[in-house]
Amino acid sequence: MSDVASLLVSGSIAGIAGGLWLLIRGFGGYRRAGRLDDTGTSRIATLAVGEVRITGRVEPAELALISLLQSRRCVYFRSQVRQQQGRTTRTVLDEERAVGFRVRDDSGAIRVFPRGANWDAPPVFKEGDGFSGDRPPGLALRSGSAIGPGALDRDDLIEQLLTVRPSFDGSDLSPLGGSRAGIITATGSGRREYEEARIEVGDTVTIIGTALPFDQLADPDEADLAEGSAVGGPLSAMGDLEIAADLDAARATGTLAANPEDAWGNASIPGFGIDEPVRAPHLDPEATPPVVAGHETAERFTRTFEIAPGELVLAINPGRPMLVSVGAPSAAVARGQDQFLVGLLGAILAIGSAVVLAMAMSGTIGA
Amino acid sequence: MSPQSFAALFSLLLVLVVVGFLLVATYNSVVTLAQQASKAWANIDVALKQRHDELPNLVEAVKGLMAFEQATLMRVTQLRAAYSSSAPIPAQAATSEATSSAVRQLFAVVERYPDIKSQANVLDLQREIQRLEEIIADRRELYNDTVFRFNTRIGQFPANTLTRLFGWTARPFFSAPDAQDTPDVQLAL
Repeated sequence: MSDVASLLVSGSIAGIAGGLWLLIRGFGGYRRAGRLDDTGTSRIATLAVGEVRITGRVEPAELALISLLQSRRCVYFRSQVRQQQGRTTRTVLDEERAVGFRVRDDSGAIRVFPRGANWDAPPVFKEGDGFSGDRPPGLALRSGSAIGPGALDRDDLIEQLLTVRPSFDGSDLSPLGGSRAGIITATGSGRREYEEARIEVGDTVTIIGTALPFDQLADPDEADLAEGSAVGGPLSAMGDLEIAADLDAARATGTLAANPEDAWGNASIPGFGIDEPVRAPHLDPEATPPVVAGHETAERFTRTFEIAPGELVLAINPGRPMLVSVGAPSAAVARGQDQFLVGLLGAILAIGSAVVLAMAMSGTIGA
Repeated sequence: MSPQSFAALFSLLLVLVVVGFLLVATYNSVVTLAQQASKAWANIDVALKQRHDELPNLVEAVKGLMAFEQATLMRVTQLRAAYSSSAPIPAQAATSEATSSAVRQLFAVVERYPDIKSQANVLDLQREIQRLEEIIADRRELYNDTVFRFNTRIGQFPANTLTRLFGWTARPFFSAPDAQDTPDVQLAL
């Protein structure tokens, strides 16, 4: 077989494989679009129990995430870093995280527990290193905690603005800390490509999930956090290797307290740390007691940290996983349909490649 | 098998896979829509029954103090009696719309009686019935949206090729066909 024929054969096989991959991906997009299109949008205030579709803006619940590559406040992100090594490209970092959040439409808001959800969020950051090895504009690697407070008040915003964080240039491992920094930096000097998809606070989302009373959730703690993933090993349900290791060590030594009151004492009282406890703390008799927060403040804290047992929340249904799509329903459906069209083009590519392969094998071309 | 035969067989197989996928996905989509419409209707039915159960309490709470508004009370009572969960959907929609209108009229009348309006039980009932009215309105919108999707889907290609095979038929909307279908309620006391 001549060189040209060999090239045609290998190209055709790649074309068939690529076309089939696009087709399978297109089938997934079609199914996702169909699922979204087959369900009408319910208003949050008058939701019925069962599978529903809602659309609205994302609000943080107790916590928000800080995305890995651009340090943006979000409720979901998936960050990937790929590195070229010779003629191959290797994924050196792949991290996906989510936390519970609220969605608000013009009638009300609902708490979403996204564990096990399928996320449909196109990349919002996709850049590569420059030819001289310089980092792409917009890359702002997270240098602090992966988790931040849910709602930011004025003081938080001022503190954020005034906090100077060390910039990450790839030579110093400390800003990211732990094993993830090593994943990014300890892999040589090949050109890197960065990609991040996320759902930020304030984004419009469309969700298909199961509405059910909060007290029917099997495990609210576990339902709140989506599983993470990273090169080098899966993350725990808490989504952080260091936290998971600390918890495991505490369990092993029996130092993990049964409840927050036992563990933290007064610090477990909402508002205690900011001198507005919602109930009287246990203090030394000679200590000056803080003023207990007023009714309105206490209610605000209670709303932030507790959900009434009968309140409807959105969670997964074992048979029908939750789908969280960025954008209004029409945009999310169009994205799935576009993916299906690309899949059909993939099928045509696969057929064309098979024809070329047959001709090359029989010596009609490239002989 | 020659390379040409292999390529032809592969192409045919791929086309069949795509067509088969589309047919299965379309069938599943129509079945899902039918289930969604049934569920949306069941959710309306629950709210209609809840309102049906609450209306006598409201009438009972205000009737003693509204001696001169018997016609309004009677209309609410009789429309409530006209409700039947086994009636066809358009007939139920007509009864429901007439009941909502009568309830709104009753609330307007209650506004003229500060003594009644300020009573805690009347306020609670009023709030609950208004909540149910909102639920009925929202769920009706969702039901009609789902029925619209279902009816459109079974008329479109490729689902219309399966419609006769599986006996799919258009579903009725939850709306009164016209004013003449509003239940004729006798107001004589």
